[in-house]
Amino acid sequence: MTTANVETIAAADRKIVTFTLGKQVFGIDMKSLIEIREWEEPTPLPSVPAYIRGVTNLRGTVVPVVGLSERLGWEPSVLHSRSCILVVNIDGKRAGFLVDHVADIIPISDSDIQPAPDVEIGEQGIISGLVQVPNKIQGGEDAVNDSGTMVLLLDLEALNVTRHLEMAA
Amino acid sequence: MNDELDEIQAIFFEECAEGLATAEEGLSAMAAGDHSSETIAGVFRAVHSIKGGSGAFGHAALLAFSHRFENVLDEVRGGKIPPTAEVTKTMLAAFDILSDHVAAAQGQGALPADEEMLAELDRILETKGTGGAAAEPAAAAPAAAPAADEMGFVPVTVELEEFADPFGFEPVGVSLDDLDSPPPASGDWQIRFRPSRAAMANGAEPMFVIRELEELGGRVTGVDSAALPDLRDLDPEESYLVWTLSLPGSVEESAISDCFDFVAPDSEIEILREAPIEPEPSKTEVPEPTAEAAPAASGAPPAPAPRVAAAPRAEGGEAKTHEAAQTIRVDLSKLDMLLNLVGELVIRGSILSDRLSPRDQERVELPELARLTREIQDNVMSLRAQPIRQAFSRVPRMLRDLSAETGKQVQLETIGEMTEVDKGVIEKIGDPLTHMIRNAVDHGIESPADRIAAGKSPEGTIRLSAEQKGARIFVRVADDGRGIDRERVRAKAVEKGIISADAVLSNEEIDQLICAPGFSTAETISNISGRGVGMDVVRSNVEALGGRVEIQSVPGEGTTFTMALPLTLAILDGMIVRFAEQRFVLPLANVVEAVRPEPGQVQPMTPTSEVIELRGSYLPVKRLSDMFGLAANDPRTPEESLVIIVDSEAGNIGLMVDSIDDRREVVIKSLDENLHPIRGIGGATILGDGSIALILDIDALLAGASHSNAKYSPKGIAA
Repeated sequence: MTTANVETIAAADRKIVTFTLGKQVFGIDMKSLIEIREWEEPTPLPSVPAYIRGVTNLRGTVVPVVGLSERLGWEPSVLHSRSCILVVNIDGKRAGFLVDHVADIIPISDSDIQPAPDVEIGEQGIISGLVQVPNKIQGGEDAVNDSGTMVLLLDLEALNVTRHLEMAA
Repeated sequence: MNDELDEIQAIFFEECAEGLATAEEGLSAMAAGDHSSETIAGVFRAVHSIKGGSGAFGHAALLAFSHRFENVLDEVRGGKIPPTAEVTKTMLAAFDILSDHVAAAQGQGALPADEEMLAELDRILETKGTGGAAAEPAAAAPAAAPAADEMGFVPVTVELEEFADPFGFEPVGVSLDDLDSPPPASGDWQIRFRPSRAAMANGAEPMFVIRELEELGGRVTGVDSAALPDLRDLDPEESYLVWTLSLPGSVEESAISDCFDFVAPDSEIEILREAPIEPEPSKTEVPEPTAEAAPAASGAPPAPAPRVAAAPRAEGGEAKTHEAAQTIRVDLSKLDMLLNLVGELVIRGSILSDRLSPRDQERVELPELARLTREIQDNVMSLRAQPIRQAFSRVPRMLRDLSAETGKQVQLETIGEMTEVDKGVIEKIGDPLTHMIRNAVDHGIESPADRIAAGKSPEGTIRLSAEQKGARIFVRVADDGRGIDRERVRAKAVEKGIISADAVLSNEEIDQLICAPGFSTAETISNISGRGVGMDVVRSNVEALGGRVEIQSVPGEGTTFTMALPLTLAILDGMIVRFAEQRFVLPLANVVEAVRPEPGQVQPMTPTSEVIELRGSYLPVKRLSDMFGLAANDPRTPEESLVIIVDSEAGNIGLMVDSIDDRREVVIKSLDENLHPIRGIGGATILGDGSIALILDIDALLAGASHSNAKYSPKGIAA
């Protein structure tokens, strides 16, 4: 624990869960997270966009599993031993997102969040902001510098599976 | 506090809805010639309940109207007004206004104009004919001039408005006169009424009871204020007074006990008959003006009435208590929770049975446990099932209104209204049903003149039916009107840019166009339908439920709209089949037979279609893996596969699968809880090993397949 980290805890407004897709680090609000599960092949569904990998059984409810990488319009994630599913609550609906690797839980304060520059990623509004976090990501050589790691904060509402489908329909 | 009151109000409106349904059913039966006392009493009770509640909640207009309506019903019930066709018709119209009043009280719509109907009801009351009307002592209590009585009470008018009352009570004038009335006449009723302390907190207003008794000719003979505490200890929401009242002996006991229908449960009520002047035991045998009020109903001996404290409660009150014990109101979410838990139990049970050897299963009595679990599940399911009649009940009223607005004559036939459907489904089909009925009257049924010209009876018929078939409920609205004018629909769709001018559409596809968003063929926008939203709304509502809408139309003969709805939350008897390395559930209701094809029995018909020859006839065969776009790693030949013959709306058809795994009952889990409905998939279920299998919706699947080549597929069909 660095001193910088202690300071951020003092000023923390919320906690985020960080995870990686390829080399990019993302964060979602901790409050939306229901659980993290190991990857398990979901039951595929017919007539749905390719990014919906299928449905899985979450303690008796049927929950869609979304390939987050594909959802953002990137290459599909390659499955490996650390692939896992972030089960989140979006507007009362549950969904699982396939991510490469869950990194950390980090407290941040709202004032640290910078607006996202107009980058093209999926569709508008998916990235709700950027935040610098102290460098803690293990496995080292990737994009490490003194100023820490840039985390893209995802707006889960904008990722809402159903909404996207309705727009597409 | 407010929440609590809102809750009580909500219960009242729920009861109103039930009461209205009962009343309408009864009135319709009366219109159809059923004049049994049971039917009439049923209507009376329903209206009476609405009146009682409306009083307690201060819905003055509703109270006033239901009271007048109830008076007429009471006379009909008592045989003083014959239930002629004319009277019944008026009562049906009065019922419609009553429904409007209830809606207005709920804040849905404005207060109806009821003066005319009130006058009409009064006219019926007055002209009821001859029988004993003159002897009625009902109006025997003209208010005395306001004056200070012996207790020093001065009549006051209490303005409840100032209290910003959360009940929304209307201000009422409370008159405390009559306290010095003469001692009760012999044979009169003596009533002692001590409302429960918490009466007012529970939403019961003792004053309304007193006023109701006064309307029966009662007068307050005393008020015991002994329990009244010092002003500073007084809780204005508690009730401290005990009233004694006297009522003329000619009033029926049941009428008195009816007044107490809405008091709080632990109120003390004594209804005693004063000893007659000449207490002859044989008195009741002698016909005399008060004979009809003899306490025969109470079962008490006709001896001088005992004035003991432990007097038996009025019969009406007791019956009420029993009735109340028969049903309880349960929050739907609690039922759902229970259902989910039982579903989990079933799944755990099958996991156990998968893991234990048959011998171990026997040893731990697993089959017994499974049977019990199943029974619990069936019972919980049945808790949520309600007859679809609840959804149908608003239709007759609607048709009466529509007839009046359009001048078209419509007769309604209902079939299968006792079909049981999950309550959630009933709640959600109300709107689609309304639109379908409106559409049928507005666009389907012709004017009487047109009908006669077309050689039909001037009165159109709408047949509303419900039936359960397999895992679906089919609700149909069939009219015998002009049918869909396909030329016009097509032209309109081109004009609105819904299809291109050179689109090639089958008749069915043209019919489907009327469900396209923004489509309306009405030349002038009518009040009823024709805003171009109706059928679109129907389709989207039904699809949101995981159902679908079908339209069949024969020009000149009529149109049938069918809503095929899932029995959500239901258990499905399913066949677990496997193809493309996945397990699926095929509803057993659709399965006719399974065939292992001989070489040559399945033949290609065109490069993309196959048929199976079965006992001399050819049936189309579909490969499920192709329909789902699932590529199997090792495509099988027909001889290595099984063909399951299913019965669909499109006729029998063969589905090619790899194997049949099992046959079992599965719990349907909806996909749209976390996702959205997928055409061809009726839901999902969790198998014994915890994995998910998709449940096939055969009809939707095949309907989707047959349309998939169309140039234009209306949204939702190919999606």
